[in-house]
Amino acid sequence: MFLRSVRGTLFRQWKKMIMIAFTIALGASLASAMLLVMLDVGDKVNQELKTYGANITVVPKAESVLDDLYEIEGQNTSGAYLNEDDLGKIKTIFWAFNIVDFAPFVNAQAELQDGSRVTVVGSWYSHHMKLPTGEELDAGIESLRSWWELKEGSWLSERTASADSRDAMIGVNLAQRLGAKAGSVITVKGADGVSRDFNVTGVFDAGGEEDSYLYTYLANAQEIAGISGKIDSIEVSAITTPDNELAELATKNGPSSLTVSQYEKWYCTAYASSICWQIQEAIPNCIASPVRQVADSEGAILEKTQLLMILITILSLIGAALGICNLVTATVMERSQEIGLMKAIGANNSSISLLVLTEIFITAIIGGIAGFFAGFGFAQIIGHSVFGSAIEFRIMVVPIVAVLVVIVTLIGCIPAIKMLLGLRPTEVLHGR
Amino acid sequence: MKKRRMFIKMILASLMRRRSRMVVALLSIAIGATILSGLISIYYDVPRQMGAEFRNYGANMIFTASGAEFTLDDVNEGRAVIDESKIVGVAPFRYENVRINEKPVVAAGTDPDGVKKTSPYWRITGNALEKNGQLLVGANIADTFRLKEGQMIDVSYTPEGMEQVDENGDRAVIEDNIKSFTVAGILDTGGKEEDYVYMTLADMAELSGTQGRIDAAELSISATADELSDYADKINSTVGSVHASLVKRVTASEATVLTKLQALVLLVTIVVLALTMICVATTMTAVVAERRKEIGLRKAIGASDSSIIKEFMGESMLLGLFGGLIGAVLGFVFAQEVSINVFSSPISFRPLLLPITVLVSIIVTGLSSLMPIRSATDVDPALVLKGE
Amino acid sequence: MSLLELKNVYKIYGELHALDDVNFKVEKGEWVSIMGPSGSGKSTMMNIIGCMDKPTKGEVLLDGVDIAKESKKNLTTIRRDKIGLIFQQFHLVNYLTAVENVMLAQYYHSIPDEKEALEALERVGLADRAKHLPSQLSGGEQQRVCVARALINYPEIILADEPTGNLDEANEEIVVDLFNKLHKDGTTLIVVTHDPEVAEVAQRKIVLRSGRIAKEVVNENFTGKIRFTD
Repeated sequence: MFLRSVRGTLFRQWKKMIMIAFTIALGASLASAMLLVMLDVGDKVNQELKTYGANITVVPKAESVLDDLYEIEGQNTSGAYLNEDDLGKIKTIFWAFNIVDFAPFVNAQAELQDGSRVTVVGSWYSHHMKLPTGEELDAGIESLRSWWELKEGSWLSERTASADSRDAMIGVNLAQRLGAKAGSVITVKGADGVSRDFNVTGVFDAGGEEDSYLYTYLANAQEIAGISGKIDSIEVSAITTPDNELAELATKNGPSSLTVSQYEKWYCTAYASSICWQIQEAIPNCIASPVRQVADSEGAILEKTQLLMILITILSLIGAALGICNLVTATVMERSQEIGLMKAIGANNSSISLLVLTEIFITAIIGGIAGFFAGFGFAQIIGHSVFGSAIEFRIMVVPIVAVLVVIVTLIGCIPAIKMLLGLRPTEVLHGR
Repeated sequence: MKKRRMFIKMILASLMRRRSRMVVALLSIAIGATILSGLISIYYDVPRQMGAEFRNYGANMIFTASGAEFTLDDVNEGRAVIDESKIVGVAPFRYENVRINEKPVVAAGTDPDGVKKTSPYWRITGNALEKNGQLLVGANIADTFRLKEGQMIDVSYTPEGMEQVDENGDRAVIEDNIKSFTVAGILDTGGKEEDYVYMTLADMAELSGTQGRIDAAELSISATADELSDYADKINSTVGSVHASLVKRVTASEATVLTKLQALVLLVTIVVLALTMICVATTMTAVVAERRKEIGLRKAIGASDSSIIKEFMGESMLLGLFGGLIGAVLGFVFAQEVSINVFSSPISFRPLLLPITVLVSIIVTGLSSLMPIRSATDVDPALVLKGE
Repeated sequence: MSLLELKNVYKIYGELHALDDVNFKVEKGEWVSIMGPSGSGKSTMMNIIGCMDKPTKGEVLLDGVDIAKESKKNLTTIRRDKIGLIFQQFHLVNYLTAVENVMLAQYYHSIPDEKEALEALERVGLADRAKHLPSQLSGGEQQRVCVARALINYPEIILADEPTGNLDEANEEIVVDLFNKLHKDGTTLIVVTHDPEVAEVAQRKIVLRSGRIAKEVVNENFTGKIRFTD
């Protein structure tokens, strides 16, 4: 009889029940969409912040006092280099997955035809590589220097160029000085006294000192500098976790000062410092250090964004909760007459409460499930339209939303049930 | 006139005497309005507040000399072009080659307060540069010379253009300027700053023996990329001695990220608002549906459809008004809390948001009750009154 | 000309003939009761006379106007101007006081006038309860408010649907006395009821059975007083 009664309500009062289910679905979708977005916003914004370029630089160990110091631009004076062959190892570290991009650099000094000196930089542009893990990756400065504005021509690309092609991109200042544009040929004389012709494929505006440099493929610059197979530095762009006390401690006193459990935690968290440490483990004789300007700012912005999203999420959760409460209360109260009748024919309080609760909860479960999927959809809309990528499905959102729906529905029922239990059947049945 | 009084009396009676039901409705409208005004406040404040966070990336405009002479006065002249409230910090720099232990090192003279603001990402072991006589040493330099915080060190400078050859062809011995400094701290940035030493401009002037000249100034300005390039153009065209250029890496990236962040908040706001409004609408539907019987009765005693719609709409719009007012205030409080918690600075109050919130909540409440009221007036009064 | 005349009125729901060729007249100032068991077509007739429903076929002349042909909107106006309704379940607006409930009818009719509304309440003997909400009134008192509301606009006809259905004997008597008073003032009364005692009071009794008029009885010794048969 109980089941029949429940079924009766669900099927015969389906309009009202649909309304409750709909509201619960709305609330649940809001809650799950916000939670999903909130949980993913860190990763997403982190990806966006990669436009600021590398947050880790890797230099050879012996090189400490850099060329900048002597104002002999570009020439590596210390004689220490990294091996080009070691580059792939960066993608073998523990946090390899967090390394989004990296590029090697070789700086060489060369002489132009008019006798003036120019810095020739060799690097990767969109270098396709196959990793030992079988993964494939495009690495290079086309994405590491996202703020470069291409004034004319096109980016260099390893994919379209042959191994020995002498292509170059030049900064706007250099282009202006030489009167060169895309398609021009620039003759450059290296340290070895050999002149080489470079075809200019593009002119860029970097808004910095690179504007007077000439950029070419790694091999060309190595040739000019006379250091085949060697590189000066590596820039790495990695997704990192904002530093906390543990990371500070590790940076300040070195990882060896940490206790075993602290070390483990530090090593297995994607702090800039632990990624640096792992790079140093992977590549012999190198020093990897975080670029504070990028790494620290990233941390601050990430934190703020996440906090903001958390607060907005809380607000919308409260809003959803109150909305559901309201409607459940209103709908249950409407049924006073029916419940008065049930009391009159001998139903006791507990059986009435049970009946009402069962009905509402069946409705809530249906609404909650529908809402969760709708919310997942909303999250995807947000993900795709803002970040151009999907929001990850997180299983932990399911129990959170489920608990939320149950609690909120229960709270919504309390005033209504209290009211219903207080009803006197005679009053109800006498039309009031 | 009397009719209007009765109209108002009825609406007020309905609101006052059906208090518990009305509170439910009012609550839901107020929540909707709170979310509306709160989120919109946040949405409009995000670029400003987040922009401030982005200043962590440091300077986004650089002044360099366009003529031969470049002094602090020129910097100030250029600075005057920019809206003062948007300037986060200005740090002038003067670079000279100096020697420590007879090894050449690049030294920069700067304004300690300015540099703190333009380079908030500097990590300093020890103390920041604060007063004359102190030296902030880049990590690489500190490594090379094994310098520690608190250590005393002599910095020497060879004055330029003083080199003279006497009649015997011998070079005159040039007296180096030497000054002692205390190492205030070690600077760690992961960039080329680690290869410099920093001192105050005054010390630099004393060491070099020449006053006033600077090489560049870094400015951190809280403005959008477009505003920045406007400022740069204006300075370049009006202030002859200064060449302003943007640090593209910072400005371009900031524009990209900030746009996305704002789009995120906007979209979230829209989703939350849409769902909240539907919630308000369902609540209003429930509230009106509850009163079908009353609508039937009113029809039976001779009310026309239009007068019923008028009364019930009046009632729900009044609810919308109160809910909107409550919500606008609560929303501001909420946005303020968020702003203080997240950005630790108060939100800017937008007076326009109050009428907008109230208006939107009146419209939403009105529209969402119109449907159920209309359908209720279609009902045959005889049916309703029979208690079906 | 009769105030109300039904000519060959049918109301058909699918197979069911709720009213099947009904003819009768009500003169001005008459007190008529309509009786019949459940399902006899009483409510349908009441709805048609109360301008809340239209017959499938036939003419319903109210004051010479065939309301069967009027639009829904006009029906509302006619109902407002010519008919005062009294319901079994009273149907007062529960958040309005007694006097406000009476004024509501004035409001929809013309202009609310509190003094007049109070006078109407006085006529039903509720002057002292004017400021009470329906929930603070007894069933009988509520029904008297209903009567006051029905007569406030001086309708041509007061149409009462089971007016004593929810009342005890004492209140039943009060309401019937009120009807008598209205009758003496010249108001036309149509009372739909299945309570024979209430039906007996009227000047004329029409008995419906299966949608047809089964019989019409004229009350020879009309007193306007209810006689309880214990």
